[in-house]
Amino acid sequence: MVLTHTTNHTYAHPFPTVTLAFFLRYCSPQLNPFASHVLSTDTIESYVDPATGRMHTTRIHLKKSRLPPAVMKLLPASLTGGTSDKASYILETSVVDMREGWMATESRNLNFVGVLSVVERQMYTMPKQQQNASSPSDTTDVETKVVFRSRLGERIRDRLGQAQAQAEAAVSDAANNGGGGGFFARLGARGIQRSIETLASTKTQDQLGKSREGMRIILERLRQTGIMGVLELRKMARERSSEAAA
Amino acid sequence: MSQSLAKECNEVKERYDTCFLKWYSEKYLRGAGTADNNECSALFKEYSNCLQGALKERGIDKLLEEAREDNKENDATFMGRKKCE
Repeated sequence: MVLTHTTNHTYAHPFPTVTLAFFLRYCSPQLNPFASHVLSTDTIESYVDPATGRMHTTRIHLKKSRLPPAVMKLLPASLTGGTSDKASYILETSVVDMREGWMATESRNLNFVGVLSVVERQMYTMPKQQQNASSPSDTTDVETKVVFRSRLGERIRDRLGQAQAQAEAAVSDAANNGGGGGFFARLGARGIQRSIETLASTKTQDQLGKSREGMRIILERLRQTGIMGVLELRKMARERSSEAAA
Repeated sequence: MSQSLAKECNEVKERYDTCFLKWYSEKYLRGAGTADNNECSALFKEYSNCLQGALKERGIDKLLEEAREDNKENDATFMGRKKCE
């Protein structure tokens, strides 16, 4: 039960700027209007590996639920808490290698994993033919791979073989006694898992476009005002929001 | 403005974020940020200490552990699949 979706994109901005935009992308709704679903962002780890010079960062984002309402409706209230307005924690890890010119990122949901696990991996690179050139490249390639996996009805902690066998047993049970059993048996574990993966995948393709749009806005801002301008804008937005709160 | 998970950490998070973004853009990206993020590390420590309570309180520390275990399991799954197909 796995669905994979891969896309490629090229930003018309140099690699260092794109990595900076990645760290800035949830920094303010004033900067990125496509980030209004992000409720909080925290860095829990950040260090430079002295051996490789690579920077490793781990962040946790709290986002309004990624699970589409249609998925929420498919699920029993016992799993969703009876509401379709849940927030999910996203774990984001990233590694930047400035010497070799690449950044690898991974984002995965921390809660709801029993319903649906979404793992998004991105690889940002300088275009190959320009990596060795003396002038820095003006563009950055990114490959995005999203893996959807629904494990409803499986015992999460079980090893592969057992999990597989159970899912198959659940399906054949449902086929054999046509109706008895619980929620998953009636609907067929496979069918439900597939529906959730498909619905989530459709929604994510839509969101990937928005996330690229958000990156583009930040990149434009960086081109116009540089990082100091962005920091200034952030500060102003913060002051405005604390005035509004006061 | 992106908030911290824990309201009480907003102020120190803000100072750390600003420090980090400056260090990243002015030093790391220019190849000068070598061994450690030293100029921000005191701020990061303060921020981390503030955040620890909130992570525990919301059970995020447990979710993180589960995610790590899950990761191992997923890797095993994908490797197993490749062999089957």
